Amino acid sequence: MAERRPKVVGFCCEKHAMDAAVLSARSGKKYDASVRIVKVPCSGRVDGIHVLKALEDGADAVFVMGCLEKNCYYDTGSIEGRKRVNYVKSMLEEAGVEKERVEMFNASSTNAWAFPEAVTKMVDVAKRLGPLGKGGEEQ
Amino acid sequence: MKAKIQVVICECCTEMPQLLDIEKLREIASSEEYVASTVTVDRACDGKELQGIVADALEHETDRAVVLACHKKDISPSLMKAFRRAGINEFLVEIVNIREEALLPHREEPDRAQRKGEAMLRAAIRRSSMLSPLEKSTETMRTSNVVVIGAGVSGKAAAEAAHKKGVHTVIIEKSGKTLKAPGVILPNSKLVGAKGYSGNFILRIQAGEKLEDLECAAIVIATGGGWTQLKGPLAKAVRDALPLYRFYEQVKTGTPPKGPVVIVDTPDPSGKTLKVQDYAWDDSLETAIELKKKHPLTDIYVVFQEMRAFGLSELAYKEAADLGVIFIRYDKSTAPKVDPKDPTRIAVKDFAHAELLGIRFGTLVFASIPANPDNQTIADALRIPMTADGGIRRGSIQRWPVTTPRPGIFVCGSAMFPKSRAAATLEGEAAGAMAADYVKKGKIEYGGSVAQVTQEKCSACLTCVRTCPYEAPFIGTASKAEIRVQLCQGCGMCVGICPSKAIELLNYTDDEITEESRVLLGGDF
Repeated sequence: MAERRPKVVGFCCEKHAMDAAVLSARSGKKYDASVRIVKVPCSGRVDGIHVLKALEDGADAVFVMGCLEKNCYYDTGSIEGRKRVNYVKSMLEEAGVEKERVEMFNASSTNAWAFPEAVTKMVDVAKRLGPLGKGGEEQ
Repeated sequence: MKAKIQVVICECCTEMPQLLDIEKLREIASSEEYVASTVTVDRACDGKELQGIVADALEHETDRAVVLACHKKDISPSLMKAFRRAGINEFLVEIVNIREEALLPHREEPDRAQRKGEAMLRAAIRRSSMLSPLEKSTETMRTSNVVVIGAGVSGKAAAEAAHKKGVHTVIIEKSGKTLKAPGVILPNSKLVGAKGYSGNFILRIQAGEKLEDLECAAIVIATGGGWTQLKGPLAKAVRDALPLYRFYEQVKTGTPPKGPVVIVDTPDPSGKTLKVQDYAWDDSLETAIELKKKHPLTDIYVVFQEMRAFGLSELAYKEAADLGVIFIRYDKSTAPKVDPKDPTRIAVKDFAHAELLGIRFGTLVFASIPANPDNQTIADALRIPMTADGGIRRGSIQRWPVTTPRPGIFVCGSAMFPKSRAAATLEGEAAGAMAADYVKKGKIEYGGSVAQVTQEKCSACLTCVRTCPYEAPFIGTASKAEIRVQLCQGCGMCVGICPSKAIELLNYTDDEITEESRVLLGGDF
């Protein structure tokens, strides 16, 4: 294989985020195939361990996508999700890993471009930073 | 017991084979552990094909299924029915949206789409083998009351619609106004608290000085707008300004207005954030037309920043303009002003002509409908979310336009955001009918994919109790957290936040989620 393809994991809530992803596909939007969608009932369900395990299992970047914070299906779910993501970010920083690899997004179910945008952003991050752990090992 | 999985591949009317190698997918499926049979169907939403799936499932004695098809919400009801016939638990059916997650977005790279589909299939089979069967429980409703909060336009319509379906209704009205509506009407009463869960609510109602408990099965919120609030610089400057609904009543009774009439959208036109409540709604047009027809010589000005007139109400513009109503649109930066020393003249800059106009008026009317301040108490009592503007939030504008996220609670009319009378009536009818249907089921369903506490691990730290928006977790008699299953909506927020990892969300356990991402990451695409 000529070029290593990045691996991005997206934890998407089954309510607005999955609807947004499906809508983007139905409205003919294209996005990078490297994204792996893992469905969770709510972005508040995402735990730090899921994100860290995904990074350990070979993901270059991980994103969590939930409902809009003011319009979350589960009231405060996406706010909880963002808190969790910020916590993981602070942990990554302590461990010397680029915290840009983990990001939280919000989408409305009627927003066809939110999901492709998030994917493009995270794939860019993954391409720019390269595989995880390279920089640390070489030192 | 070893899991036996049936893999169903839906070809989606020959769309799938054009881009994906179905044979390869079948091969992969059969080579996986646990897979007992693989079926390819032309389309899974077709009844005839579903019979074949059922027959195959019975033949191979499978106990769970992986379906490669499209969006879960599009196919699941009929498919679930078929699997129920085959004796498969509905929580053991894993639907993989291969159409919209691999096929459509990557149709230019069929090679990668194929490999992505393969990885998704593997992950789904792996996940499916880890799932456990869940059951939903039922409970009979103790009463069949429908409580309608508010006796306005929408509340009355809701009560009538529910009554038509043969359900007993109770209307709670804040004021002492009398009206003709079916069922019991409790005047001078308001909701102050609530216990219980959908289907078996116990409402605490303050009727006059007394506090009463009222059992009910479903609730319709029809509080309407907060009509009496007039806050803002314009309301301060013009003391005798009227809200639109009161002016409309005046017009109806035939009282001629004093002097020219100016209908401004909001008393606070330069407000920092423009809320939905601040728009002018089609009611303004309706009132203006009615007034112009009754008193053709009166000058009427409609001053607005944004007008929301939906559907056929658009025609009201033309009608109003033909009758001689003058429309003036302004921009927020040049908001209309009234000098408090001269409270009969409004200065407004026309947005279209960029011209500053001074209008002498006799009556100033505000078209905005602020959110009802009672919404806060009601939302707190019933644990339902609100919009940023202070209205009650509905579940989803496309799917459940009159439903709140909590089952059994419905909302209609201006309780959400300002509506015209016609729209409020229609919504009231819809909400009332839905509430009646909900009550007539007679029993409530709960359980399924809900949170579960491992009590040995719990340290009673109260984190879950504070996090849950539905008040499902509580500290039980054993000083450990417990979940009220009837209240649990299955979001898993408490699971993610529990520091002792004592709570699990059934069928979304940590293992299942990490395993799915691990298998997906194993694929190369």
